[in-house]
Amino acid sequence: MEQPVIIKSSPHGIRLLLDPEIPFEQLKQEIMKKFKDSGKIFKNARVALSFEGRSLDPDEQQQVLETITENTGIEVVCVMDDDAGYEAFCEQRIKQMDDMRAGRTGEFYRGTLRSGQCVECETSLIVLGDVNPGAKIIARGNIVVLGSLRGNAYAGASGNDNAFIAALDMDPLLLKIGNTYGRSSDRGAYFAMKNRRKTMEPQIATAHEDQIMIEPITQGLLNNI
Amino acid sequence: MSEVIVITSGKGGVGKTTTTANVGTGLAQLNKKVVLIDTDIGLRNLDVVMGLENRIVYNLVDVVEGNCRIKQALIKDKKYPNLFLLPSAQTRDKTSVNPEQMKKLVDELKEEYDYILLDCPAGIEQGFKNAIAGADRAIIVTTPEVSAIRDADRIIGLLEANDIKDTKLIVNRLRMDMVKRGDMMSIEDVQEILAIDLIGAVPDDEQIVIATNQGEPLVGSNSLAGQAYMNICHRIMGEDIPLLDLEGKNGVWTKFKGLFKKN
Repeated sequence: MEQPVIIKSSPHGIRLLLDPEIPFEQLKQEIMKKFKDSGKIFKNARVALSFEGRSLDPDEQQQVLETITENTGIEVVCVMDDDAGYEAFCEQRIKQMDDMRAGRTGEFYRGTLRSGQCVECETSLIVLGDVNPGAKIIARGNIVVLGSLRGNAYAGASGNDNAFIAALDMDPLLLKIGNTYGRSSDRGAYFAMKNRRKTMEPQIATAHEDQIMIEPITQGLLNNI
Repeated sequence: MSEVIVITSGKGGVGKTTTTANVGTGLAQLNKKVVLIDTDIGLRNLDVVMGLENRIVYNLVDVVEGNCRIKQALIKDKKYPNLFLLPSAQTRDKTSVNPEQMKKLVDELKEEYDYILLDCPAGIEQGFKNAIAGADRAIIVTTPEVSAIRDADRIIGLLEANDIKDTKLIVNRLRMDMVKRGDMMSIEDVQEILAIDLIGAVPDDEQIVIATNQGEPLVGSNSLAGQAYMNICHRIMGEDIPLLDLEGKNGVWTKFKGLFKKN
């Protein structure tokens, strides 16, 4: 082999082509060199890693991983054996990580969203105002509305069924959590509004077995989220 | 100090033109110099409601295209010499004018008039964009119906996006008897959704239909709607006037109804 270490990229990760002959310590040095040179390209990337051309025992694998993370900003999400389901697995794993991140970080939107307006975000979303009928909010993570939610809200937009939607006044036309939809009852808009006023309290919506559940916010419920 | 106010609603048929005619006439009654501009090119109405249809020679598009001077196109009101109408063109469409031209026109009128009221067409397309181009503030007209309120909400959003932050609300065609029964949204219900300041509430009044048919705005008359419009004019001028009692303890209608109640 001309080069003892070759880095190849795949859509969701990095493949390392390793020389099967040279001693392991030398290989490690080569890997370090390689990543120091090209590490900037992968800056802060989250990748799945696979090895080809040489089989490494777990201890060796661990050492290679440490070499990579110590010398670059790369975060190795998982180590893959060759091929079988590789792409699919990487994709899923990275998506799960992103979903988790989305649920932990958030953005604020100040003001009332009126009919025809739409806010999308890659994290969780906190609206400081109302979401009126005809307005739409979409978040990869969770949604909290500090006002009346009367429009449409999609949480866990990339398919995360564990996301939640909370609002001080929960009166949406349509909710979607992960892949589950829920819509308001078929009363006319005005009468629905009048009815709600009697029972107004902060509520939270979660998805359970293809149904959206809306419940009052309680300590016990929050502990389970 | 002159002001340009666009009167808009999104939905058609809620009373934009009637409101423009009455508010304009009311402001003229309060000795302000007023121009009403009908921006609904192709579907002009304001001239009819004002009873000035028979005086139209030139129109908005003529002014913009330079076929005449502004002065030539302005029609003086029958009753109030300080009230003028710039009628819309009936044989053209909304694309005959663009927002820059409207802004220029309005800026020119600003030098001479206290209030310029723009009667906006229904919809959110070119006509709407033309109408709001030169406006400093907006009055949203809605009826207490969910469809009108949805459209009003959308319009408020679009106005905000176009940097018109001063928007006030008129709730038109209120029927207090229905509100009392819980069959119609109240002013409070409407405000809860739209969340903007109210500048007036106008009752559903058959006198409006009569006045419109006659081409004589009823603002300032004794009818409840006439009073309501006059109050709106005072509020536009910055006065703090309490909301009219629409159940009309002093109104003719209630007195009339009262006669039956006693029996």
